Amino acid sequence: MKRILIVDDAATVRMYHRNILESAGYSVDEAMNGIEAIEKALQEAFDLYIVDVNMPKLDGYGFLRELRGENISQVPAIMVSTEAAENDQTAAYRAGANGYLVKPVKPVQLLTHVRLLIGETI
Amino acid sequence: MAFIKKQAQPSTEQTQSTPETRDCQSLLKQLSSSDSTERRWAARDLVECPECANALMQRLKIETENSVREVILTTLTRMGDPVAIAGMVDCLRSEDAALRNEVVEAMKQLPLEVAPMMLGLLADPDPDVRIFAVNVLESLCHPEVESWLISVITDDAHVNVCATAVDLLGEVGSSNAIQTLEQLKARFSEEPYIQFAADLALRRINEN
Repeated sequence: MKRILIVDDAATVRMYHRNILESAGYSVDEAMNGIEAIEKALQEAFDLYIVDVNMPKLDGYGFLRELRGENISQVPAIMVSTEAAENDQTAAYRAGANGYLVKPVKPVQLLTHVRLLIGETI
Repeated sequence: MAFIKKQAQPSTEQTQSTPETRDCQSLLKQLSSSDSTERRWAARDLVECPECANALMQRLKIETENSVREVILTTLTRMGDPVAIAGMVDCLRSEDAALRNEVVEAMKQLPLEVAPMMLGLLADPDPDVRIFAVNVLESLCHPEVESWLISVITDDAHVNVCATAVDLLGEVGSSNAIQTLEQLKARFSEEPYIQFAADLALRRINEN
């Protein structure tokens, strides 16, 4: 079973994403900010990260830069943000994201991106 | 110009590096030093110089060293004056995500100072600022929080502003919010997240 880490400071968003992903057969873990996510990434392997931009302590960009820069993990990451502007998406890809979704995310959007990035059939 | 007296029991680091007295003008100069340690100390000691709040804000916008940014925000929070608060609000519009998040956390520490500005922030033309304003409300122990959130989900046209408000309303809302939550579900009937978050909020309110 593929493992996915959801990184978001909003508990409701984490629950929403968890429901969608678990219903589709994925195993899910959660982190409330970038620092907690780094700790989890150091301790266990995930197949994908779903990362919010705005979080206290360490934001999504900071998390991805650390994850990639320190070579903690190179597995795919989807950044999720309320901001749809092109420069926000560019910043996400520069930080190390492999996908970008604008909130509020619909289940089909999330699952399509997840399956594509994990390398499963859509 | 205020003078800052040396503390009665200085740390070893202070004893080694700081002069006996440091006036606001010299602290301002050190705030632009190439040495981050000097900048950090200057930012800390400028708490005694409220007239320098604007200079601290300007430094915050260009400061790249996290530890210095943290101290600047702590100092501004301790100052808590209108210039400092206005400067923090200005930073909510920054392109720098880390700075925005640090400012939100700092504003949460200033409920009394931030509360009078909240209606303006919740009506800001920029939806991102309105979202950050709702995030600040999370820790603002103020009697108007629920009514502000109800107004947001009633009037705000932006789905993500409403989504952020619903999350919080699930935690602080009372039966006063039930009808508005039902109306929100109808207004965004095509948005699965709003349906999920509003149902969760309604369930929590009904349980309490």
